[in-house]
Amino acid sequence: MTPRRPTPAVALLTLTGAALVAPLLVDDRPILARRLDGSLAWPALVERGWSEADGVALVNPPLHQSWRAVHLEEALRPPSLQHPCGTDALGRDLLARVLHGARLSILVGLGATGFALAAGLLLGGTAALRGGWADLGLSRLIETLTCFPPFVLAMALVAVRGGGVGSMIVAIGIGRTASAARFARTEVLRWRGTGVWLAARASGGSRGHAAIRHLLPLLADHLSIQAAFGVAQAILLEGGLSFLGLGVPAPIPSWGNILADGRSTLEIAWWPVVIPALGLAAVLAFLLRSGSSSPESA
Amino acid sequence: MSGYLARRLLAALPTLLGISLLAFALLSLLPSDPILTWSEGMIPASAAEMERLRTALRSDESPAERYADWLLALLRGDLGASMRDGRPVTTLIAEALPWTIVLNGAAVVLIYALGLPLGWALSRRRRPMLGGASGLLLLLSVVPPFAAALLLQRLFAVRLGLLPLQGTGVGGGLAVLPHLVLPALCLALSGWGFVARYARVAFRSAMPESAIAAARARGLAGLSLARHFAANAALPFLWMLGGLVPALLSGSVIVEEIFSWPGMGRLLLRGVEGRDYPLVLTLVFLSGVAVLLGQLLADLLLPALDPRARAPLVGTESGE
Repeated sequence: MTPRRPTPAVALLTLTGAALVAPLLVDDRPILARRLDGSLAWPALVERGWSEADGVALVNPPLHQSWRAVHLEEALRPPSLQHPCGTDALGRDLLARVLHGARLSILVGLGATGFALAAGLLLGGTAALRGGWADLGLSRLIETLTCFPPFVLAMALVAVRGGGVGSMIVAIGIGRTASAARFARTEVLRWRGTGVWLAARASGGSRGHAAIRHLLPLLADHLSIQAAFGVAQAILLEGGLSFLGLGVPAPIPSWGNILADGRSTLEIAWWPVVIPALGLAAVLAFLLRSGSSSPESA
Repeated sequence: MSGYLARRLLAALPTLLGISLLAFALLSLLPSDPILTWSEGMIPASAAEMERLRTALRSDESPAERYADWLLALLRGDLGASMRDGRPVTTLIAEALPWTIVLNGAAVVLIYALGLPLGWALSRRRRPMLGGASGLLLLLSVVPPFAAALLLQRLFAVRLGLLPLQGTGVGGGLAVLPHLVLPALCLALSGWGFVARYARVAFRSAMPESAIAAARARGLAGLSLARHFAANAALPFLWMLGGLVPALLSGSVIVEEIFSWPGMGRLLLRGVEGRDYPLVLTLVFLSGVAVLLGQLLADLLLPALDPRARAPLVGTESGE
């Protein structure tokens, strides 16, 4: 086993940071600019157009390429100095699209996992702590949710609600809730039988208080491992949805829809498929390795 | 034994009802106007068209009423008709289901044929091949299946021209086989990592090295050694069955789309793209039922192999 692996929590924070910073590396808008009236603006951070006439650029991104500007005369250029990852069939810079797509894929992955863990903790935790009829009913609900393949469920939900970032987070989140709930129920049941729970309750804490203040911190380590695996799964699900054209609408890049776009020109250009696939594989490898940092965890 | 069977089947009934209720609730009760979503991206519907949709979707009746009707129709075997071309959903499914069963069956064979030996290799420590095996495992779990499918399709079907590009070919029977290779391989890709990971844990606990060493010390070797551990080795097959079905059903959608395989996954995708509620509802319900059946099959076969499962499982079903 290699000695230095990031802990899941560190890996998730790194990933969030990378998702926020990555789009700044390549953009046709300046990061910091001074408007004509002298005030400062952050054109690359806010999703708004910016033209030369609006003011003076103070800080430019290292690579000056747009993720949405169409240049048909530069379509399908192989990787070069100007376009480090080449261009796609519409002449858009692929590196810019992959980095901007990273933000969407990673944020949907994080959001959906947050949703699934919160819902799962609520369902599984309540089932384990209440016991009796509540446990019986909630366990049946969890069992029922387990039966739906996450991808099929997410597809159906996106069909009903339309595919935006919000509805993708909810759709993937619901699909992944069952496994989080099963995990939460088992873990809480385990801790409930120990002195920790008894002591917390005996010192006068209500059930909810004891669960949040005393049990949750005990679960933190396992939760972060679950989160790392969950984010990896959610990113794959998002990629699949976008690949099928059910994700975010067309001009906005996501790893899945960049791959789907590259599919039609795969005969003459490999880069529009291979480069987003490598990005996806790198993020997944990073997450999975951080999640299995203890040698015994499966 | 038959008592156990009956109890396990009985316990599955509420889950089955739950699957139908949840599928219906998720697709019907979410805050969205199905008529607006349905006509999205099309020419604005006329008043008469809106009326037709409203009747077809029955959006002015109460959800409970619609659910009860749907459930009763389901019991009669009436799955409704597609909203796009008016054909009965049962016909559509009858056409697609055999293809999906063939594809997934082939994928399961491939997954077990490679995944179990890989899991076995990983479960034995201090073997020279361990490094390679775990590297392969990591690789298998990080390669996005849809990208792998695209690249394999290009390599084998376009570059090398060894295998057909897509579809199922004309004429049934064995003519399908060459068309089956690539899709089944791509579907298996997503399962190998899962099965190997799971089998590693299962083999480690079911067949520890000390037990094998003890058996060897008693003079067992070759075939008799294999027979001694056959039941133990079969356990991971079963444990994974419950988890494998949802993974396969999910992967099936993308693989069938890439290879134009006329199965259930493509049917679902067409349904989702066309906002064809009766079709999507039925397919979501059936996918839940398929997973439940996988779990049931695993649970029912388990006591045959594992004597420990015969008594306690029945106990935990009602007790706890």
